[in-house]
Amino acid sequence: MRLPDSVTGSFLVVLGAASAYGGWLLPPVPGQPVGPNVFPLVIGIGLALCGLAIVFGIGHTFEEEEELIPLEDGQAAAAAPPQGKFYSLRALLPPALLLFYVVAADRLGFIITAAIMVYVTSTALGAKWKLALPLAALSPFAIHLIFGKLLRVPLPAGLLPTPW
Amino acid sequence: MLKTLIEAFALISTWEVIIAMFAASVYGLVIGSLPGLSATMATALLVPVTFYLSPIAAIATIVAASSMAIFSGDIPGALLRIPGTPASAAYADEAYAMTRKGQAELALGAGVWFSAVGGIAGVLSLMILAPPLAEIALSFSTFEYFWLALLGLMCATLVARSSPVKAIAGMFLGLLVSCIGIENPGGVPRFTFGLTDLFGGIEPIPALVGVFAVAQVMRAMLTPEPPPLPRRKFGSIMAGQWKLTKQYHWQMTRGNIVGIIIGVLPGAGADMAAWVSYAMSKRFSKEPEKFGTGHVEGLVEAGASNNASIASGWVPSLLFGIPGDTIAAIAIGVLYMKGLNPGPTLFTEKASSMYAIYLMFIIANILMIPLGIAMIRIAAYILLAPRSAIMPIIMLCCAVGSFAIGNNMFGVVTVAAFGIIGYVMEANGYPVAAMVLGIVMGTMVEQAFVTSLIKSDGSILPFFERPVAAILAAMAIGALLWPVMVWAWRKLKPVRTGVAATSR
Repeated sequence: MRLPDSVTGSFLVVLGAASAYGGWLLPPVPGQPVGPNVFPLVIGIGLALCGLAIVFGIGHTFEEEEELIPLEDGQAAAAAPPQGKFYSLRALLPPALLLFYVVAADRLGFIITAAIMVYVTSTALGAKWKLALPLAALSPFAIHLIFGKLLRVPLPAGLLPTPW
Repeated sequence: MLKTLIEAFALISTWEVIIAMFAASVYGLVIGSLPGLSATMATALLVPVTFYLSPIAAIATIVAASSMAIFSGDIPGALLRIPGTPASAAYADEAYAMTRKGQAELALGAGVWFSAVGGIAGVLSLMILAPPLAEIALSFSTFEYFWLALLGLMCATLVARSSPVKAIAGMFLGLLVSCIGIENPGGVPRFTFGLTDLFGGIEPIPALVGVFAVAQVMRAMLTPEPPPLPRRKFGSIMAGQWKLTKQYHWQMTRGNIVGIIIGVLPGAGADMAAWVSYAMSKRFSKEPEKFGTGHVEGLVEAGASNNASIASGWVPSLLFGIPGDTIAAIAIGVLYMKGLNPGPTLFTEKASSMYAIYLMFIIANILMIPLGIAMIRIAAYILLAPRSAIMPIIMLCCAVGSFAIGNNMFGVVTVAAFGIIGYVMEANGYPVAAMVLGIVMGTMVEQAFVTSLIKSDGSILPFFERPVAAILAAMAIGALLWPVMVWAWRKLKPVRTGVAATSR
């Protein structure tokens, strides 16, 4: 997901301009020179300026320095090259599973939805079924015990209500 | 005074208070150490429990849980690079770098020791300095608040180890997110695109969970499992802490003082205290180049700072009913519920209750040392568990925790969206922490800014006229210009930079 600075910078310019314009359209507080319109206007202009600066590479010198200090998984970068074209799409799995939870939890219930989420995440991270299956079977109950029972979060029961 | 102190002791030495305090401490430690569950949320979830307790026991649970949660947020920060609470976000990278260097004991020990010291310093401020400090904060107008908030935001760009332009862009993004909703000066729906779910705005906690936790799981999907950390028993956690205390006593004191001041100021809590202190520590350090590579100095100062702010956050809450931070806001609700209405009279009419609160804070912070060490030893087993077992549980906690904040599914959508935003930003060198600070402080900045503009009739001059405002303005602008000065310095001395870059 490493995009060139010109792409992210241009995106910020567009976003900044859009929010400045959006702020401009908002009505001010009656009888006052300023209102809900000022803040988005200021932010939008600031964001657009930052975007321009990024497109032109201002402040880029500060970043080179950081590249020298591998923050995390430094040694991992050398190993295991990406497999295939769709490899980088795997990163979208966690948010996709969260959206799945939003859609499915009310119908399937917390336990089943959570078990699916756990199994998929665990397998995607390379767990064998010997680990993933018991984890998927037990962890939803544990989480339900903490949140549903102790903290009284109204988790949906759905198809498989918990015994408590 | 002595009589009230004895009365206060009698109030807290009941079994109910002792058990409530102990249970809340364990609860706070566990919740604070779970990524995605903040100290504020731990406190909020305690409120139903406090219905069943006596006033002092109710306050005891809040005091104990919030203090413990702020400390134990350091644990996942150090072991997993996921801050357990926003207050630990400022130095989670630093603590994680220390763990990678094999200094997990030192990082966690510094967390528990300087948290306890900071907490006690905070109580002392609450006891001694409360009235005069609160008066100073009360005399602040929106101009001062505006500059103070701006200074806090600029601090996020100072601690970022990335391009300052990108950090400022991240901050603006966060402020833009905070614009969403109808909570603005005009009360009109702004950037809601007709979606009712967006009317209430974006909650900071799901956004935080998204950028810190979900984005971390996303990164885990692409990176191969890191080589297992060498198995070793945790050495003595408190070893070397006394040496650190002596070595960094000035940093510790500065952290305590900054934490106390920021805690007292309404709206600025433990997270901002940690950011400001970490930035200060880096800027005033003799070895700033070590920051970000696993250097304990920043941990000492910020750890002492965020816990100090917890107790001092109660100063404006108790005196005026103005919350010093989100935790104190919840505490005010409980105080009202229990008939201890905040106000200056509380200190005269219910003096023994006030002393009881002080004593509970002190006890909670002393209790933090043994319980914290035990918690670190239990939490250390996270290091032995495979990533494929931890990440799914974190995912579940993200989903359920973000749902629990407002009991609605939109929180989960927010988490997913901010997971993607955080992932993309991090991958492209935009510091997410700057955005988070923008989201958290956006409403406060806007309120101060717009109210000031209305007062000054659109003129900029009154922003600098009041002496305190002028000082804060100078600091904020200085922070803004700092990268420019560094850049100019490097341009003038290109050779030196080259040497410095290669020596890293």
